[in-house]
Amino acid sequence: MDHLVKQYGKTVAVGDISFSISEGEIFGIIGPNGAGKTTMVECISGLRTPDSGSVSIYGLSPQKDRDRIREFLGVQLQESAMPPRLKVGEAVELFASFYPDPMDPNDLLETLGIQNVKSSVYKTLSGGQKQRLSIALALVGNPRIAILDELTTGLDPEARRETWALIESIRDSGVTVILVTHFMDEAERLCDRLALINHGKLAVLDTPEAIAALAGGSRVRFVPSQPVEDKTLYAISGVAEVERKERYITVTGTGDLAASVINSLERIGVHVSEIEARSGNLDDAFVKLTKEGTSKARGTAQS
Amino acid sequence: MTSAKDDSKGGIYQGRFGELLKVEGKLALREPTGIGMAIGAPIIFVIIFGLIGIASPGNVPNTNYTVLDLYVPVIMVISIIFLGVAFLPVTLVKYREMGWLRRVSVTPVHPSRLLAAQLVVNLALALTAVLIVIFGSELIFGAALDVGILYFVLSLVLTIAVVFSLGLVVAALAPSQSVTTALTGGLTFLMLFLSGLWIPPATVGGPLATIMYYSPSGAAVQALLNSVFNSAPPYTALLTMVVYTCVFAFIATRYFRWE
Repeated sequence: MDHLVKQYGKTVAVGDISFSISEGEIFGIIGPNGAGKTTMVECISGLRTPDSGSVSIYGLSPQKDRDRIREFLGVQLQESAMPPRLKVGEAVELFASFYPDPMDPNDLLETLGIQNVKSSVYKTLSGGQKQRLSIALALVGNPRIAILDELTTGLDPEARRETWALIESIRDSGVTVILVTHFMDEAERLCDRLALINHGKLAVLDTPEAIAALAGGSRVRFVPSQPVEDKTLYAISGVAEVERKERYITVTGTGDLAASVINSLERIGVHVSEIEARSGNLDDAFVKLTKEGTSKARGTAQS
Repeated sequence: MTSAKDDSKGGIYQGRFGELLKVEGKLALREPTGIGMAIGAPIIFVIIFGLIGIASPGNVPNTNYTVLDLYVPVIMVISIIFLGVAFLPVTLVKYREMGWLRRVSVTPVHPSRLLAAQLVVNLALALTAVLIVIFGSELIFGAALDVGILYFVLSLVLTIAVVFSLGLVVAALAPSQSVTTALTGGLTFLMLFLSGLWIPPATVGGPLATIMYYSPSGAAVQALLNSVFNSAPPYTALLTMVVYTCVFAFIATRYFRWE
């Protein structure tokens, strides 16, 4: 995908969002429920027509060139069931017949670990098996772009991990993946870049690490060999905040915090023990950013 | 994947219709109500009216027909109503409600092809039912039918067209599965009444008989009754079905939603 620019002024769901996704990356779209994530991917997949603005995929419009785009776009929809008496194998073979150059249905079922339920009907499948079947239908057409909405909702931890590995292998084979999720660990683990959507606005677009750093960055807790003054600690580059609890000192800040704290203190002859470092996590960033958005939105509503 | 069966539309891949048809056919056969309506209903009705015919032999008063003769077209129309008005819209609305039509619409294949496959499958079931009625009543109960092929084909095509298009109107307008079930239930009952299942229009007489003659199912019965005894179906019956089909088809195509 060379450039996917998209701007539309639909006040309710999605308002004026622009970004581009590069070929071969896993692009995550995260945001709280009702943020407009699904509406956005529906515009990308051509299920919805934006009120204004446009989407361009390889120079084609999902609305005008619907038919062309569908040949290389695989979509997994949230909340889409299948006929209850349809068998797993039949579903995958049927969808393979929809595409000009499909994958081998049996290989795909094998990879997804649902080969053993090939002749089971849809209604008897477990939540995880249904989810995998739905992923299979999105991938069977050998897409160049796969849109996966709420990929691992309803999967057990082991199945989630397997699915993640599968998505990475799809990306490694050159497929661009657009992943809609509200699981931070999933976004952190899989995505090359992340767009955080809140109230239909693009709150931030960056790598998961950079977004995590927005949460206030890393946190280092340690016990110094001799008392250290706050002043000394604040002088260390990257340190933003210092807290003390009993003999522990906790500093939060940005950059390679643990290393700079240890080095600076060693230089003045203070040894550091019981070090516990934690890098900023996406969860914190998510909560922080969505809260900011909410309070801002409330402000506008009142004025 | 470039077999001769590939259907293309302006160079855009449209999938293989045969595969879709095969899957929809299998699904219909796995659905107990589908089989019950297509195969079970005509068998049961032929047996019931066949036995009534044996219990009261001879012609029905004021007509030249036996009870079974008179009911052969009614049973055909009933079977087609069960499929077209009850089974077809319920399946389509279910597909729409569960997001299956929407799921198909994000593939290169337009969901209208799924609808087409559904129509073909139901058509095949309807023809099976018609054959069961004809051969069952002739071979087992000795109905003396004299099918005028051209008349019959014409009447049957119009009957299926009018009943299926009415079913599509329900599929287009019904907002949910539960509403569809209620609607198709009421509509099926009404259509069965108008077809003369309980009281034939000739017995009813008066304005109600006129209403029955000019209803979709009543007109279908008139046309089929004439053609299974090799006489020309009344053109009013044929015209009635054509007009209803046009109106129903217009409403259905105008209001059908894919999601």
